[in-house]
Amino acid sequence: MDNNNLDNQETQISVLLVDDHPMVQGGLTACLAFYDDIKIVGTCNDGAEVLSTAKALKPDVILMDVSMPNMNGIDATEIITEQCPDVHILIFSMHDSQEFVSSAIQAGASGYVLKDTSSEEVYYAIKAIAKGNTHFSSSIAKMLIENPIKPESEKLTTREQVILSYVARGLSSKEVARTLNISFRTVDAHRRNIKAKLKIESLAEMVRYAVNHGLIEE
Amino acid sequence: MTLPLRLLYVAVLQVILTSFITYFLITDEYRELSEKNVIILENFLIEQKKQALKNYTSIALTSVNQAYDSPEKNSNQTAQEVVADTFTGLVYNGDDGYFFIYDELGNNIVHPKEPYRVGKNWWQLEDSNGEKIIQLLIKNAKNGGDFYRYNWLKPSEGKKVQKISYSIYMDKWDWMLGTGVYLDDVYQQLNNLQAQMDTHINYTKHIILIVAMSSIFFIFLFGIMVNLSHKKKAEAKISELSQRVIDVQEEESRHISRELHDGITQILISIKYSLEATGLYLTKNQQEKPVTLQSAQENLAVAIQEVRRISHHMHPQILDELGLSEAIESIASDFSKRTKVPVQVNKPALRKLLPDFINTTLFRIVQEALTNIQKHAKAKSVLISLSVESDWLTLIIQDDGVGFDIDMTQSKGIGLRNLAERVEHHRGKFTIKSSKMGTIITVKIPTASFVNHFNESTLHSDINEKK
Repeated sequence: MDNNNLDNQETQISVLLVDDHPMVQGGLTACLAFYDDIKIVGTCNDGAEVLSTAKALKPDVILMDVSMPNMNGIDATEIITEQCPDVHILIFSMHDSQEFVSSAIQAGASGYVLKDTSSEEVYYAIKAIAKGNTHFSSSIAKMLIENPIKPESEKLTTREQVILSYVARGLSSKEVARTLNISFRTVDAHRRNIKAKLKIESLAEMVRYAVNHGLIEE
Repeated sequence: MTLPLRLLYVAVLQVILTSFITYFLITDEYRELSEKNVIILENFLIEQKKQALKNYTSIALTSVNQAYDSPEKNSNQTAQEVVADTFTGLVYNGDDGYFFIYDELGNNIVHPKEPYRVGKNWWQLEDSNGEKIIQLLIKNAKNGGDFYRYNWLKPSEGKKVQKISYSIYMDKWDWMLGTGVYLDDVYQQLNNLQAQMDTHINYTKHIILIVAMSSIFFIFLFGIMVNLSHKKKAEAKISELSQRVIDVQEEESRHISRELHDGITQILISIKYSLEATGLYLTKNQQEKPVTLQSAQENLAVAIQEVRRISHHMHPQILDELGLSEAIESIASDFSKRTKVPVQVNKPALRKLLPDFINTTLFRIVQEALTNIQKHAKAKSVLISLSVESDWLTLIIQDDGVGFDIDMTQSKGIGLRNLAERVEHHRGKFTIKSSKMGTIITVKIPTASFVNHFNESTLHSDINEKK
């Protein structure tokens, strides 16, 4: 707060606020307005909408709620980090169970703060992750120390599962890339990850796996 | 009693009543009719016999006309002998048709079948009823000829049977001439007829009985079938209804939980930040934060936690946001924290495969099972395994406790019984094996019940993504 001199104007951190509740956005904006080194560049209240907004605004940090209509914040995080690797995402949620935290981390979130933490901590978290660090609310951090996240190497992310479903339905990597509006290389990277996680080799095995698990119809 | 059952009883009663009435009416009518017929026939036959007797008599008289009508008075004796001889020889109907003659005092003159009677007086002869037979025959004859019924020895049979005799008076000699027929064959004929009719009546009775019994049988059969199908339908309806109730309950809890989480909690959080903004504003202006603001913030934090707890209790949002395996992981770790019993969770590599209703059912089963284990099982470890293989999604919850009686564990929740029914409702299978070695609950849901669900739900977001 005492650093609010003019130099900081140029190094202001741009923040996109994503929360489906306008009152929460309002309250948080009011608090963060007291800190001059961060700037709210936009707000979003829909998980699907945030994808295009993030691409357009390219904020330093996205403060991302989890429970939202159309797409939850964790799935949105995965897609944004895949498409805009420079954007740091701080999950901002009421959910405090480990599964949410580990899913968020797996999706590429840099931090996780609970909505009932103080705005001051939110401010510090934004600062930390903008620098490329991680930040977790104290209760979350405690939980992570007590039960370290198991390497979820075997579990597919939602994005990977979407790609598996498309590939198993017969779409080529090119077609998948066009459908999801991502690069061909990204799709290929996902395909390698999927095969590694499921410990399978061929396309035929991918199809069989998807059918056996009821992901797609025969 | 259900309406169809009541109708059934009414129908059976109707059949019984109708059959009874028909039975008695028909047999009564029949009997009366047959009796009338028999009487008519009897009269007819006897009339025939009477006519025949009259004919025989007149023919017989013609044959003795010459001797009887001869004018010489002195040759009376001879004429009488001639006439008596003639009548003795007149026999018809085999042995049983003959003529007899008595004088007006009852002395027998002619009796071809019982010759010992000739020349003796039978004026006082009585039958078993005390009727003076000869006197009555003579009286009928003197009155111009008439019929008389009595019992008399039948020559061909050698025993007494009923006989009807016609007698006329031969005035010139004061003789009574009579002849008769035995009626036993008439009665035999009538009895035969009666027996035939009785057989017929019995036959009709049997038919009525058979028809009635088979009607009752069919009504009952029909009734039982209707009843069974009704019962089946009713049971299906009850099951359907209880599933509906649970659906509505789950939907309601989910809705309220969402309202609490997305509505009230968010409002409370916005208030929290407004209060914080107020605090920041005061600090910026070098003013001290009032104690009331501090306590408002603290109380608000408690309120937020409380609402969250209620919301989570009603419906865990994790189920909707992250899917079943993460939700199971979450309650499993809560359970371990609470009971110090380790839970191992095995889950598939895929997520969000299941639609809400299957998700919720399976989650409630795990919840219920863990509650049971905590209360009754005294387990040392629990294994929860969720897998998808060869057309079936399988959920196994296994503990090494002491087992429990499923029916004894009536918890506050939906209950394993209901959940089992619910699994069957989703075309799945539910088995539970409990012994002193532990309990295994196995739930299987065919992949056909949820195939393509993930695509349907993510296709929706893909479209939004492309906007």
